[in-house]
Amino acid sequence: MDINEEKELLRDITAKEYKEGFVTDVEQEFIPKGLNEDIVRMISERKGEPQWLLDFRLDAFRKWQAMEAPEWGHLDMPHIDYQDIIYYAAPKKDADRPKEIDPKLAETFDKLGIPLKEREVLAGVAAVDAVFDSVSVATTFRKELADKGIIFCSFSEAVKEHPDLVRKYLATVVPAGDNYFAALNSAVFSDGSFCYIPKGVRCPMELSSYFRINAKGTGQFERTLIVADEGSYVSYMEGCTAPMRDENQLHAAVVEIVVMKDADVKYSTVQNWYPGDAEGRGGILNLVTKRGICHEGAHLSWTQVETGSAITWKYPSTILKGDNSSSEFYSVAVTNNYQQADTGTKMIHAGRNTRSRIVSKGISAGHSQNSYRGLVRMLPGAAGARNFSQCDSLLIGSLCGAHTFPDIRTDNSTAVVEHEATTSKISEDQLFYCNQRGIGPEEAVGLIVNGYAREVLSKLPMEFAVEAQKLLQVSLEGSVG
Amino acid sequence: MIKYDNTIPARLDPSPAQDAGHYQDLPVYIGPDTLEVLDGQKLSKVYTLGPDTGSGQVQELPFSNIVVGGDARLDIVIVVLLGISADVRIAVDIVGPHSEVNISGLYLCNADERLSIRTDLRHRVPECVSTQLFNGVAGGSSRVSFFGKIVVAPDAQKTEAYQTNRNLVVSSSAHAETKPQLEIYADDVKCSHGATVGQLNEDEQFYMRSRGIPEKEAKILQIISFLAPVLAAIPDARTREILTAEVEAAVRV
Repeated sequence: MDINEEKELLRDITAKEYKEGFVTDVEQEFIPKGLNEDIVRMISERKGEPQWLLDFRLDAFRKWQAMEAPEWGHLDMPHIDYQDIIYYAAPKKDADRPKEIDPKLAETFDKLGIPLKEREVLAGVAAVDAVFDSVSVATTFRKELADKGIIFCSFSEAVKEHPDLVRKYLATVVPAGDNYFAALNSAVFSDGSFCYIPKGVRCPMELSSYFRINAKGTGQFERTLIVADEGSYVSYMEGCTAPMRDENQLHAAVVEIVVMKDADVKYSTVQNWYPGDAEGRGGILNLVTKRGICHEGAHLSWTQVETGSAITWKYPSTILKGDNSSSEFYSVAVTNNYQQADTGTKMIHAGRNTRSRIVSKGISAGHSQNSYRGLVRMLPGAAGARNFSQCDSLLIGSLCGAHTFPDIRTDNSTAVVEHEATTSKISEDQLFYCNQRGIGPEEAVGLIVNGYAREVLSKLPMEFAVEAQKLLQVSLEGSVG
Repeated sequence: MIKYDNTIPARLDPSPAQDAGHYQDLPVYIGPDTLEVLDGQKLSKVYTLGPDTGSGQVQELPFSNIVVGGDARLDIVIVVLLGISADVRIAVDIVGPHSEVNISGLYLCNADERLSIRTDLRHRVPECVSTQLFNGVAGGSSRVSFFGKIVVAPDAQKTEAYQTNRNLVVSSSAHAETKPQLEIYADDVKCSHGATVGQLNEDEQFYMRSRGIPEKEAKILQIISFLAPVLAAIPDARTREILTAEVEAAVRV
């Protein structure tokens, strides 16, 4: 393939449009721009929250005020003016039909392929909690889940209906003052999902939440809390989109997962926030704190496919507290145009015989910068603990960057940690092999990239695997290294 | 005392505070303490960090940084013997094409040493090859840390850069940490790094013990074979023999 052809193909990918970039015109109520104690009180009041939650927010807000924004990411971060953001935007409820979903909202979620009407989901097996800007719009399959004792609802409802559970577990994994963005989220979080699986229950369907930022000038600060009690199992999926806008929008979420003794949680994310245009204008700043804690014999698996956002800065992590607990992290991060990603994981081994495995696949194209950053920590008590990490980067085009920053710390002489990383472009031999057999360069790259990401994609639940594969195709189809 | 250019300590700073999120075209520093490998030159050096016994051992590396020209070759082997707390800093810029740089090192700690090894290797031009290999043993209550960075500049195509750091932790109060890093801004490259922290393999021990080799001797043999690849990188046969004997004696302590 000559240089011109290659350039043309690269131009093709950059021309690919973001198909979720529409805006829905629903009447919304906002609170004033800016951030201060009154705003925090106002959010809490709007949501009719109990005093303890308001106290929690105010405490977090004071901690946030005393903190400084971190700057250590391998990122060119735009300046964020926290006073120029609307912290709460909710679709106005139509007074005549308070029990029903606004047809326009339903339409939005239909466009996104999120079925909210249960009859439409009968063929599928997923219960959905959809969050639009700051509020949760609908949660499907509530009754079927309730029969098994499973609680799956919006965070605000959980605060009203299951305050004891929320109060017991909230901020036990990510404390309010954990980091700058977690503190901000704790102060102003609007909604999110809450999920509780009782002892010994195997959740019969995939639980899924869908987040969408719609309103201009707003940020989304959702909070997800998942508690899997002893011996239970749940598979949880999360998806996200946003309209195309010229300015950056902030998304600072917190996800907390408590995995009790012998429980098993699978958490999957397909992140497709608006990545900004081909010149790098606009896009979502995705600054998220995700963390789980594993008690004895528990298992937590993270799978993420990151294709969107102007900036992705997140490290889903696991604290392996209990003996014999295990965790995995599978990630595919694709960056194109001027996107930047600094993502990876943290595995903190505290218990004996704990196991963790990290598989990270980065793909960079265009002018993007894609970094893996990870921590594997073996604490003195982690006797016989084991970790294996594999981080591969694939470069498409000569203007992008791929970086790997692992950190390994061991305080136990019986723990074993292995890390390996490679960086390369798509091999000419592989391309030649495909071309020779009549597979065009475009298709060949698709094949190779899909093969490269397969190990991770195969870990996704069925519904997501299809979407993720399509996303990869949209972002990278036709690109040749 | 070695004088550094301002950018050299920053390059060797393992905290991510130095991250800019994009390629930084830092100036190449050439000062009085710079080890320069000129165009077409082939240079091979062995540095032994050991107790000050007057036998040619040093306490710190005698250069502030290294600059390698085109069509050149540089082989450096660093041996850190027992009882040495040191801060080994190696900043390399490859500024001419078709060069090869091999840096290897081994370290032995059995008491309360504080050893840090930091490398920053920059491929600024196309078609160069670099390898780094650091194997070390942390015993006693020592703390060893390795920080190694490979930076491939934009347009430094056809670069091959490899880095390996292996650590054996042989005592319960020793601490090891390793931070290998890759920063790649060109696409037609082959780069990799690998890092491990672990113990002596029990299967190997069992194999030797079942053949009549006592446990202590089996462990010594394992450590020597773990360090052997670094010793093998010493080009001069006589130096290699002397250092191999010295390392073996240290392992047997």
